[in-house]
Amino acid sequence: MTTHQDIENLIPAYALNCLDEDEALLLAEHLAACPACRDEMLAYQRTVNQLALAAPPTEPSPQLQQRLARRIRPANAATSRQAARSWWQTVLAGFKQSAPVWGAVAVVLLIGLGLANVWPVTPTSQPMRVVSLAPTQAAPTASGVMVVSSDGEYGAVIVENLPHLPSDQQYQLWLIDDGQRTSGAIFSVDEHGYRAVQVESPRYLIDYDGFGITIEPAGGSPGPTGPKVLGGEF
Amino acid sequence: MDYSTLSDEALLVLIAHQRDNALHELYSRYHRLVFSLALNVVGEPAAAEEITLDVFTRVWTRADSYQPDRAQVSTWLTRIARNHAIDTLRRRQARIESRTVGWAEAALEALPAAADPAETAHLAMQQHRVQAAVGQLPVDQKEVLALAYFKGYTHSQIAEALDLPLGTVKTRIRSALQKLRQLLADEQ
Repeated sequence: MTTHQDIENLIPAYALNCLDEDEALLLAEHLAACPACRDEMLAYQRTVNQLALAAPPTEPSPQLQQRLARRIRPANAATSRQAARSWWQTVLAGFKQSAPVWGAVAVVLLIGLGLANVWPVTPTSQPMRVVSLAPTQAAPTASGVMVVSSDGEYGAVIVENLPHLPSDQQYQLWLIDDGQRTSGAIFSVDEHGYRAVQVESPRYLIDYDGFGITIEPAGGSPGPTGPKVLGGEF
Repeated sequence: MDYSTLSDEALLVLIAHQRDNALHELYSRYHRLVFSLALNVVGEPAAAEEITLDVFTRVWTRADSYQPDRAQVSTWLTRIARNHAIDTLRRRQARIESRTVGWAEAALEALPAAADPAETAHLAMQQHRVQAAVGQLPVDQKEVLALAYFKGYTHSQIAEALDLPLGTVKTRIRSALQKLRQLLADEQ
């Protein structure tokens, strides 16, 4: 028969959360009815809480704080993001008007020359990053680029010569990080197979390793299901 | 504002109001503690850094959930870190093994620069006290305690990892915590 002392003996391990399930349930039921044992459990929990202080001390990389700053900034930069978004929308509007005339290569050259000298927007002296998207067998004549702002926070994808899809399908951009894929955009192309669209990302775009575009059901998928048409890496 | 002069609790109030400099001050005080704990659990620096980021990101988004009457800020942080690190370890479905986990040697280390001296000295003294107390435990008790605390192992898992009778593991853990409770009573 289980005595009160037997149950009390379980309290230290319960505070450490290392009891096996049957004993944990037994003690949990007892604690609900025994204030003295609850006080004992809280006292042991305070002891357990201090054990973290005895881990061998080690310093993380100095860049970790910068990564934290980048991670929390999206939640704290609504105003600056709104201003930047209008800038990108202006840039994309310019692409949309002129794109049937340009090949993707010409677009890359334009960016290389400095967009500020071409488009009627507020010029920036900061260089942007461009990732060329290579076609696959599923769309061998397609081409595309990912354009990422200098700080890696904003981006747009521009594609050309992608096949026009039936109404129940769309293209979906995937942001790839260590094998994990996050949706960045869902879009359809015009009669030239062209589209320029802003990328929506929960993280800074420079945190990803690469990008891919697949054919998905209209409205997109939680993960890639269809053939890949374009892809590239930083 | 000079955030370095504020208490941990005051920093959390500011963090709840989205003051990112307050978060960075809290980070400067506790990033080493959180990272060290995470590393001792998962054993990989990259994973430990991700856990550290997750902990401070959670502080950023859930600062309003901290209850000062229930625990110190450092305790709240390390509890979040330990739970997250053990969850990470379990998701990786790590084989149960007696992987080496360590306890710090009790020694007063050089205080980090650019930190509030009062807060840093208090934390350093707390760490020294706990490390000295753990150092007084017999080696076999430290071993089972480390597996329980840093790896989240149950009695049965520890017994399997160390090839010990279950009753022996239970006795060693109970004895270790009873001893530590006595030694650290003044801090509670």
